[in-house]
Amino acid sequence: MHTIRFTVNGHVEQATVPATMTLLDLLRDRLALTGTKEGCGIGECGACTVLLNGNPITSCLMLAVEADGSDIETIEGEAIGGELSVLQQAFIDEGATQCGFCTPGMIMSARGLLNRIPDPSHEEIIEAIAGNLCRCTGYEAIISAIQLAAARLSQDIGSRDAQEGRAR
Amino acid sequence: MTRELSYVGKPIPRADAIDKVTGSASYTHDLCLPGMLHTALVLSPHASARIVAIDSQNAEALPGVRAVLTGRGLCYQLGLYMQDKCILARDVVRYQGEAVVAIAADTLDIAKAACQLVEVQYDLLPTVLDPREAMDASAHLVHPDLHTYEHMEGVFFPKAHTNIAHHQKIRKGSFDQAFEGADSTLTASFYNPPVQHVPMETHVSVAQALPGKRMEIWTSSQSPYTVRHLMSVCFDLPHAHVRVHVPYVGGGFGGKAGLGLEPLAYVLSRAAGGRPVKVAATREQEFNTLPSRQGLHSTIEIGASRDGKIVALKSTYVWDAGAYADYGVNIGRAAAYSGAGPYSIDNCWIDSFVVYTNKIFGTAYRGFGHLEILWGIERAMDLMARRLGMDPAEFRRRNLLKDGDTTITGEAFTSGHGNPLQCLESVAEAIDWGTPSEPSVDSYKVRGKGLAMLHKAPAMPTYTSCAVVIKLDEDGGGDILVSGVDYGQGTYTVLRQIAAEELRIPIEKIHITWECDTAFSPYDWQTVASRFAYMGGNAVIQAAADCLEQIRSVASQALNVAPEDLDFEDGVVFPKSDPTRGIPYSKLTLGYTFANGNSIGGPIIGHGRFIAKGLTHLDPETGQGLPAQYWTYGAHAVEIEVDTQTGEIEILNIVTALDAGKVLNPKLCIGQVVGGVVQGLGSALWEGFVFDAKGRFLNAGFVDYKIPTAKDIPRHMQQILLENPQPGGPYGARGVAEHPMISVPSAIGNALYDALGIEFNTLPLNYERILTRIKEKVEPS
Amino acid sequence: MRSLFCFSGFKFVRFQRGFIVLGDFEYKRIRSIDEGCHCLAEAAGKAAVLAGGTDLLVEIRNHLKSPKVLIDCKNVDALKQVHVDRSGSAIGASVPLNRLIENRAFHTTYPALATALLSIGTYQLRSRATLAGNICNASPAADSAPVLLVLDASVEVVGIRGPRSIPIRDFFVGVKKTVLTPDEIVVSIQIPQRADLHTTFLKQQRIRGHDLAVVNMAGAYSPGERILRLAIGSCAPTPVLLEPIKVDVGNVASFAGHVAEIVLSSVSPISDVRASSGYRNAILPVLVKRILHNLLAEGGAS
Repeated sequence: MHTIRFTVNGHVEQATVPATMTLLDLLRDRLALTGTKEGCGIGECGACTVLLNGNPITSCLMLAVEADGSDIETIEGEAIGGELSVLQQAFIDEGATQCGFCTPGMIMSARGLLNRIPDPSHEEIIEAIAGNLCRCTGYEAIISAIQLAAARLSQDIGSRDAQEGRAR
Repeated sequence: MTRELSYVGKPIPRADAIDKVTGSASYTHDLCLPGMLHTALVLSPHASARIVAIDSQNAEALPGVRAVLTGRGLCYQLGLYMQDKCILARDVVRYQGEAVVAIAADTLDIAKAACQLVEVQYDLLPTVLDPREAMDASAHLVHPDLHTYEHMEGVFFPKAHTNIAHHQKIRKGSFDQAFEGADSTLTASFYNPPVQHVPMETHVSVAQALPGKRMEIWTSSQSPYTVRHLMSVCFDLPHAHVRVHVPYVGGGFGGKAGLGLEPLAYVLSRAAGGRPVKVAATREQEFNTLPSRQGLHSTIEIGASRDGKIVALKSTYVWDAGAYADYGVNIGRAAAYSGAGPYSIDNCWIDSFVVYTNKIFGTAYRGFGHLEILWGIERAMDLMARRLGMDPAEFRRRNLLKDGDTTITGEAFTSGHGNPLQCLESVAEAIDWGTPSEPSVDSYKVRGKGLAMLHKAPAMPTYTSCAVVIKLDEDGGGDILVSGVDYGQGTYTVLRQIAAEELRIPIEKIHITWECDTAFSPYDWQTVASRFAYMGGNAVIQAAADCLEQIRSVASQALNVAPEDLDFEDGVVFPKSDPTRGIPYSKLTLGYTFANGNSIGGPIIGHGRFIAKGLTHLDPETGQGLPAQYWTYGAHAVEIEVDTQTGEIEILNIVTALDAGKVLNPKLCIGQVVGGVVQGLGSALWEGFVFDAKGRFLNAGFVDYKIPTAKDIPRHMQQILLENPQPGGPYGARGVAEHPMISVPSAIGNALYDALGIEFNTLPLNYERILTRIKEKVEPS
Repeated sequence: MRSLFCFSGFKFVRFQRGFIVLGDFEYKRIRSIDEGCHCLAEAAGKAAVLAGGTDLLVEIRNHLKSPKVLIDCKNVDALKQVHVDRSGSAIGASVPLNRLIENRAFHTTYPALATALLSIGTYQLRSRATLAGNICNASPAADSAPVLLVLDASVEVVGIRGPRSIPIRDFFVGVKKTVLTPDEIVVSIQIPQRADLHTTFLKQQRIRGHDLAVVNMAGAYSPGERILRLAIGSCAPTPVLLEPIKVDVGNVASFAGHVAEIVLSSVSPISDVRASSGYRNAILPVLVKRILHNLLAEGGAS
């Protein structure tokens, strides 16, 4: 057993975990953050994408113990105080979610992208979300949603999101 | 006077989107009950074997193990159409991946560790893998007891002591004579492999056996009431003792219709003393243990006159049902009555055989039966057109169903069916049909265009029905209760739009309960066949009317106005003669109170229902009858580019036209079309199960079973939604959910001929297959 | 494990299922290379080094490997370094691929390697996966291997007997097998910088989305020496580096044919679920031709 400290969506967490536990299971089973989904368990589908120190990763392929000292962001941290982020609102406006099972991972990949490239090209968007499988939408609406979020963020320099320096 | 619509036909955002973008949507996958156990499975490594012995003593002795079950103690036969399946393999295993032992334990770790301790001894049996060989009299019988199985009588016709689970015949006119007299004839064979639905949420069910012969189930399913019914029948419980919850569902596409893991979860819970048990398929089990689309071998014979009229068509469909054919039989049936495509054919002969083999079993998958048969039919149409020296679009134009024609089951085709020709013309125009593609910038790449028609009707029992309840709230809004499941199609949003439109209240005041619960939500057969918006929409219209009648009755007393002199607008009921004297619904929904305190009326609850109308069973010998509530027609046209050195194919443009009757919500409808087209692209280019000679499944997982990613979508996609109204459809609408997927492979196959001059008859059209055929053409062996 | 419950409306929801069975191993985070070597030596072949984990954890989950100890090397400062300069470069063993791909100097110095790394897995996987991991996993299809081979890279390792430098061409010995001894830990990949070299990497896969290579190939051409080096992946038990080929181009097409013959005689592709040997054999000359086209056009060969 290993005792680890880390932050999730800005909150400090401490947990005692066995070596064999994945970060995904820590988030879902211990911290009750079930917005992060498991679709395959081998890093192929992206449903379990979270941000590790700002970078999108598949949490099924990371041990919980490796998260010691790190900063994790999940879908549950995307809306603040019940207020949707610009990215979430763009997903709604563009009809970018159908069954919704891939959506949390998709939004986390998009968040990672907008954090590092505020005005991504079409190709950059595709590269960023190609690791998130979606069987419902055919991806087009998702790509549009990310473009829309980027456009709204660039026009809205004075917004809370912009002030926080991220895709909110 | 027609009212202008406020909500129907508008791009209203999804009702469920906010739950989904915040991660708060709770799926069965996320559910945990107090004391819940977790399940692991021992799967058969063999495609066909006798189970000689199972030693599970060591597994049972492992601390934390609460139930170990094998098929032997579970003498149940289950099925919706054909009761041919056990909960766990009993005595024999019929496909590699079939569940043999199930273990429920305190944690998934313990359950998995216990499975490692189980020893199963098998005796290998003969294996039959090709359904065409399985039809031989001498073939190994996958189900020697087929003649004893219960099935839907008068609809399905299993052949005793064979592997044929169902034989559907269509006979119209005189095929042989017409074929003989045709100016030109064609015979061609085609193949579709089995493919997987790949819902992002795998199958998962939680069940709890309750005292007093009751059970409660939470499941990722398309079919709450069908699950309830089949569980009641199987375990001999009153229907009211089985309560089924369906929370958010992470995709279904047909694979979660009928029964799934619910019976296994229940028997495990029963064996574990009533603790709730979760059975969640791993991704590998989703491929390897749970059902797929059936494979199909088809042979199509066409006779045509010189001027391009089809005079005779014969199709032989041999379905690879796999080890169980519960749902497969219905696919074989539906594919037969649609089996000549959307064409007018006077002399038609169709045989559709659903055949058992030792492979993963089949079930419904979006556009079931139709993606498969239209691969052959629409390729054959192009082949025939070329034989006649005619443009493929022109050949289709001369044969498409039009007002006054009859279908192959004898149904009169009318303008109310929609307009297949308009679909064809729309896509042809959009793709600039008749103008050759611009050459590629790379000399080794070639381009081509192709088109294909599609059609499908809901395949459902003649008595399929559903009900809707609308409860009006204190604020004058309402709650819709339904048991159809919205697993992403958007139907709930559309039902809200219809309810708001009909009740004349702002849509924000209409809610729909996002968990089906058979204890509270009214009956719905199951959410399949692109029928939910049509049937549920009609039921909502009726339920809203019921609410308004109740409001009218109370308001008439309250206002002392004749009921027929009242009208409704914006949540207010008012006398037509004096609209200023209106009463808001909020003052009526729980009953109306006069100034002196006297009250009348009471809580308003509206009820609506809908049952399929006028459908008949098909004649067993001729297939004549009325199988379809409505038909939806459509067409795709594509332009592709092929790398002749590697076989890589890129979709430059795909145009889809569907006759939706009425587009209830353009944003959601286009979302369905784009998603369906990309799913169809998967079936066209990459997807297909690969088995070795012993029937072992070689690509059961995402590493080697590739579905389209964001990098794989067409460069351009265009959607054309036609609105030739459907009589009897809500606002004239008909279903379109499955259709976008159908015939995507056919259009691409046809474009490949245009680009390369090579006929492809086998799916998927993967790079290797394309390059192999190019090389054969260049260097014939 | 205790479970968590939460009560929502009239239904209980959520949480608990135990953990995924990820084998049965201990986890050890090392702070220095020496500590790592000692841990590895102590475990006597039963340990595995954990860098990104994107291959290792999948193999453990699929019961293909069952190490008793995972030695996490990501907290060793020496392994986190990236040096890219004119004289050559050193890529620390725990550096995630995205850090390389998004490093401008790396990208301009080793464009073919950057292309190869970008073709590995998904963005999320590349946030974790490492160059050292890609070669230590020793898949015949490892996408970084052909480029490292043509660039003459070397693998710097430290074991209990001290450091050694292994030329990458000697590193792979079979499917999933390397020359590393059980106590050795990879510190960095050294890549010589040859400003005169033109390099390119091509990969044939089954779909545009993330996929393992059906065939991959890298080429490096020195216009001054008129020497071509080619390496091929996914067509033999290990990635294959050809002997340097003297470029004497009269006719590019016939030269490409000549090189393709050398390639085909140097590899032995098998048929598997990803592709038949026939398809791989058909793709090889195509990649040769395209690589030569890229290199010789860039390299100014006539």
